[in-house]
Amino acid sequence: MNAKQQLKEGVITNNPVLVQQIGLCATMAISTSLFNGIGMGLSVLIILTCCNVVISLIRKIIPEQVRLAIFVVVIAGFVTIVDLLLQAFVPALSESLGVFIPLIVVNCIIIGRAEAFSSKQSVGASFRDGVFQGLGYTLVLVCMCLIRELLGSGTIGGGLFNGADSFLTLDGTGAGFRIFPETYAAGAMILPVGGFLTLGILMALLQYILRKSGEKKARKEKEGEK
Amino acid sequence: MEESRKLIVSSSPHIRTPRDTKAIMLDVLIALAPALIASVILFGVWPLVLTAVSVVSCVVFEFLYRKLLKKPNTVGDLSAVVTGVLLAYTLPTTAPWWLPVIGAFFAIVIVKQLFGGLGKNFLNPALAGRAFLVASYAVLMTSWKAANFESVADAATYATPLASLHQGTLSSTGIGAMLLGNTGGCVGEVCSIALLLGGAYLVVRKVISLRIPLSFILTVAVVTFIFPRGNNNFLWMLQNVLSGGLLLGAIFMATDYCTSPVTPKGQVIFGIGCGLITVLIRYFGSYPEGVSYAILVMNLTVWMIDKRTAPRRFGVPGKSLKRKGAGKDKKKEDAKG
Amino acid sequence: MSKLRDFLKPGVTLLAVAVVAALVLGLVNMLTAGRIEAIALETTTEAMQAVLPAESYTDLEVEDDGEINSVYAAAGGGWVVEVTESGSQGTITMMVGVDESLACTGISITDSSETAGLGAVASQASEKGEAFRAQFVGVSGTVSVSKEGGEIDALSGATITSRAVCKGVTAALEYCANLG
Repeated sequence: MNAKQQLKEGVITNNPVLVQQIGLCATMAISTSLFNGIGMGLSVLIILTCCNVVISLIRKIIPEQVRLAIFVVVIAGFVTIVDLLLQAFVPALSESLGVFIPLIVVNCIIIGRAEAFSSKQSVGASFRDGVFQGLGYTLVLVCMCLIRELLGSGTIGGGLFNGADSFLTLDGTGAGFRIFPETYAAGAMILPVGGFLTLGILMALLQYILRKSGEKKARKEKEGEK
Repeated sequence: MEESRKLIVSSSPHIRTPRDTKAIMLDVLIALAPALIASVILFGVWPLVLTAVSVVSCVVFEFLYRKLLKKPNTVGDLSAVVTGVLLAYTLPTTAPWWLPVIGAFFAIVIVKQLFGGLGKNFLNPALAGRAFLVASYAVLMTSWKAANFESVADAATYATPLASLHQGTLSSTGIGAMLLGNTGGCVGEVCSIALLLGGAYLVVRKVISLRIPLSFILTVAVVTFIFPRGNNNFLWMLQNVLSGGLLLGAIFMATDYCTSPVTPKGQVIFGIGCGLITVLIRYFGSYPEGVSYAILVMNLTVWMIDKRTAPRRFGVPGKSLKRKGAGKDKKKEDAKG
Repeated sequence: MSKLRDFLKPGVTLLAVAVVAALVLGLVNMLTAGRIEAIALETTTEAMQAVLPAESYTDLEVEDDGEINSVYAAAGGGWVVEVTESGSQGTITMMVGVDESLACTGISITDSSETAGLGAVASQASEKGEAFRAQFVGVSGTVSVSKEGGEIDALSGATITSRAVCKGVTAALEYCANLG
């Protein structure tokens, strides 16, 4: 398992959201402002990496029959730790993401990677898998946040930046940079329907790009044979 | 036209009907014209501007999308023009000019073209565009203006007849005014006479059958007559039928070919379903108008209605191609075995 | 012998993992509990300061009846009441400040799930939202929207939300009147 291949898989060819299509619920629910997107993405990245490492460490002593129960205990443990830390040190993010932080326990990405990857691979590979899959998740979230926030409220970087004096605000109070007046913003994009639409279009786009590049590769190989 | 020339036709006499998509759409546009004329008389030139903006943006979006994806262009079949007109008709007369542009993008690109274009969309594009606009610009989509010949006490708090029906009280607007359209509302929905005229034209030209509009409107009439609010059943029923987008929706939108059932029985079921949902939303929903959502919801059931009401195939025993018949046959075979 | 091992091993491993997890969680909880509590107190105090500024507040510890959640007595006289009403989409929770002459000193909506663009304006920090909430400063007795002959101009397109807020303020005022 080389790192470069893992990075490509995590971010593009085996992206957890757009290709594996797991962890969609939280993706659609919270991708309404950049602050939420980055916060959620990083939380998942950290939890996923920790869980991957721990599960990989104890993979040889986990009995087959109770492996899922052990995964869940490990995952729930890390999620609760992150939840408590967020509440104590980044209360704005904790309030904004609400129940979706505790719900990471049932996020398929984490238990999916535990079952499919880290319970079978070395600690190093599992660590990289956690970071790269988490990165893939974060990137999709950021994309969705940018699109939905821009169309739905006419701003970019809500919560992270303060448009008036363009300062970085880490307490979630920034209004973001206003691109066009709020009157023109299509509020439906912030509603769940906008989440479904954006996610569907992103998935289609990635499939289209993957197919195109696949075709190109096949053509090149054919030419090479000649 | 070009495509048909490529086809190789063999043997037998063939009759070609001149009624292609373009001719039908042209008929629909003619039928829609009276409502626009009435609207211009009632509200001034703004409805015309909204309709023009809507039509142009629908056509431009369709053209650009097909061009971008290198697909044969379909602007000539006029279906985008009809979508544009219908979308404009469902906007309030006070809507800003850019509202139909956004609605047109949603209707044409997201609802119609992404699913493969005309005939492959499962929702009525114009209504889906309206639904998106209502969800996005709720205030703009519910700001009304009185008609030119209407005497209004307070223009700032003007309410449409539908709004007072939603409050459970009869509207002060007379039936005559509702028939002529001398009341506030959406661009193309206020003048009942113009809409009925257009509907009659479509029926005479055999573009639509009476099944969907009639079962739709009658269902609304019957339900509102049986369960009135207040004690004047008849007036309550008439106001419910003549106000809001019921006639516009029943005649021009519920009858859209690709989003309504093909079987006669299915069309009646579709109409009744639309009527029931309309009344339910008007009575219990948080929006005063339910026609657009009723049609959109029923659009989603069309595949099921068509499957259930498929006529019996000649020579096949049993009611239709149902599983029941298949099961019986299998049992027989089992018995034989 | 080996059979017993087959039974014991999964159980013991699971137990060990659970015990370790519990220990770590306990430790993290010990480290963060104080801070979390302080933050929660600060948020409530901030909301109370916004509707009725005072040096300190004492919780009167009333029983939650589904409408009035809690009542705090402000140090300089008056009360802050936390009320929950049902709006058009879900419940609306608000802080209502009441002074000693039983007039409202201001409201702040702490939790709601109203329609975006319509009812949601009531709780937003926007100009429209501020203007809507400012109307409640100084009202007393039974508060209602102008459509029903009251003094509050409803938010456009959000009569139900506006009515719910009026009802909540009325309930808070009434409760304080009974307190004396």
